Amino acid sequence: MSEDRYHINIFKPNGEFQKTEISYIWLILAIWAVATYGFQLLLKIVQRNPQGESFLTDMQFLGFPFHYWFTGQFLIILFILLCIWFNTLIDGLEDRHGKGDI
Amino acid sequence: MEASFKLGPAIILCVVLIAFVGIGVGHKAKDQDDYWAAGRGIGRVGAGAAIASNWMSAASFLGMAGLLYLKGYFALAYVIGWTGGYVMLLVLMAGQIRRFGKYTAADFIGDRFESQTARLIAACTAIIISLTYAIGQYKGIAMMFQWVFGMNYATSVIVGTGVVLAYIIIAGMLGATKNMQFQYIIIITAFIFPLVFIAKKLGYFYLIPEIGYGSAVWDLGHKFGSDPNNLKYVQPWGVASTYKWIALCFTLMVGTAGLPHVLSRFYVVPNTRDARWSVVWGLFFIGLLYWSSPAYAAFARIQNAIAGVQPVKALADVIVISAAENAGLPQWFTGYLAAGAISAAFSTVSGLLLAAGGACSHDIYYRIINPNASEQSRMMVSKIAVFVLGLVVITFALKPFALIAQIVAMAFAIAGNTIFPTFLLGVWWSRSNKQGCIAGMLVGLTLTAFFFFWGKGNDHWLAQLIPFTSSSLILMPIALFTNIIVSSMTPPPSLEIRKFLCEQVHGIKFD
Repeated sequence: MSEDRYHINIFKPNGEFQKTEISYIWLILAIWAVATYGFQLLLKIVQRNPQGESFLTDMQFLGFPFHYWFTGQFLIILFILLCIWFNTLIDGLEDRHGKGDI
Repeated sequence: MEASFKLGPAIILCVVLIAFVGIGVGHKAKDQDDYWAAGRGIGRVGAGAAIASNWMSAASFLGMAGLLYLKGYFALAYVIGWTGGYVMLLVLMAGQIRRFGKYTAADFIGDRFESQTARLIAACTAIIISLTYAIGQYKGIAMMFQWVFGMNYATSVIVGTGVVLAYIIIAGMLGATKNMQFQYIIIITAFIFPLVFIAKKLGYFYLIPEIGYGSAVWDLGHKFGSDPNNLKYVQPWGVASTYKWIALCFTLMVGTAGLPHVLSRFYVVPNTRDARWSVVWGLFFIGLLYWSSPAYAAFARIQNAIAGVQPVKALADVIVISAAENAGLPQWFTGYLAAGAISAAFSTVSGLLLAAGGACSHDIYYRIINPNASEQSRMMVSKIAVFVLGLVVITFALKPFALIAQIVAMAFAIAGNTIFPTFLLGVWWSRSNKQGCIAGMLVGLTLTAFFFFWGKGNDHWLAQLIPFTSSSLILMPIALFTNIIVSSMTPPPSLEIRKFLCEQVHGIKFD
């Protein structure tokens, strides 16, 4: 075998295991980015004045203005859930490929 | 806020500090492995508590509530930046860094890029980051000592540093790790329980004040909304633009994922699976604090609105204590709150000084100057380094810095613009080589420093595009592409390191 097989590139997965692993990484990062930055952009898009007021800030949820709840409370919950989900996916992947703890 | 000697709080603070040292002495570091990586066997939850305790600084405990108090929704960018960074760290690097199996960030960079120059730059960067960050903690320590003992700023700094140094040098990191879980419990209970009291006093849902403060935020925008300042508190872009929010949040995220003392926590856990799960616990434990800070801020604003006064900027950094005092919390309980703030600052400062001492003894002395150094002499060098660096920190902290919050933000920008892109490419692109790594780090460092000194208070459009405390949104990609371009134009790294990267770090099995 040539030495060419020793390469790592997040855009060119090396082998089946890594292909799945990287697809999980993109999945989690996509949700993470859309929830964090996408929501801020959404606030910007739907705003009716430069201060950013919109139906999202008028709406009340758990007592909060909705946007304040989403950013101040929900995003952290989402981050924890994303981490749990990622770890579960990777644990399963490692088990399927017979890779225990290294 | 009264700066006089208070007996109850003083006793509580002394008991907590003596307990820290006592627990540390009970767990002396036995050898190099213990000293740096704390035995590598403290379990997922324990490692998570250590991540959280190491992370939660005076900036988190006092500073963040203060920023939220002044800036409302805009300051949520800090909350999200400092938690969201862990998601990025977990999915992109945590397991791989653990499998690489080194002690420090500079070790990783030096070995991965096969270059002593890269190692030296990384070690120096890590030292700069640790020191700037540590200096930022002293404002918190000093303000608390001032409140409890009526000491002045200079005395507080010297007494505080003395306690931290004595503690580190006596106990080493094994003590610090055990101690970190204890510290976490002190920090989080001190922070969470007074909120229940404050919420009840103000008539909001107090069983879970982290939800109850929602109505307080709502009231600021409606009941007290005739004051434009209260309205700005709630509005998304009342204080700063969408771009500033995103740039700040992104900088804090990549900065978190690039902080050397955060990265080095992953070596404490025994295997990659534990390394990954400890992040979940760490994030949850940090979350408990960060769900509560906005509640302190909102309740303090409601107290102001009811009293008919405007928010006081000078009070911002002690708003947690002042809100508790205003609500009539018993003085001994407020003393416990102050002890929590000091614990938060101490655990962060000790973690930072250890990381900086590690960079001096391990990365610079052992790996570059004297590779034959015995374990004993390395331990000695690290202890001397910790001591000297402690003195450096005192010297800088004694001069009353007006810009401490900005200096802490600067530490994040440096980490995000130098260490983060280097680690990212080091793990995920085998073609990245030593020339690319060195060029990327130097470009990151230079541009960060330039925008800090030139961009501060500058109205130039470029300084607006790259705010000096939020520079990573633009500068991190620049450093990343510098690394990629320079690497592509120079020879690839050795077969040996690429093989190691595939087989060890990424666990690929070739038939």
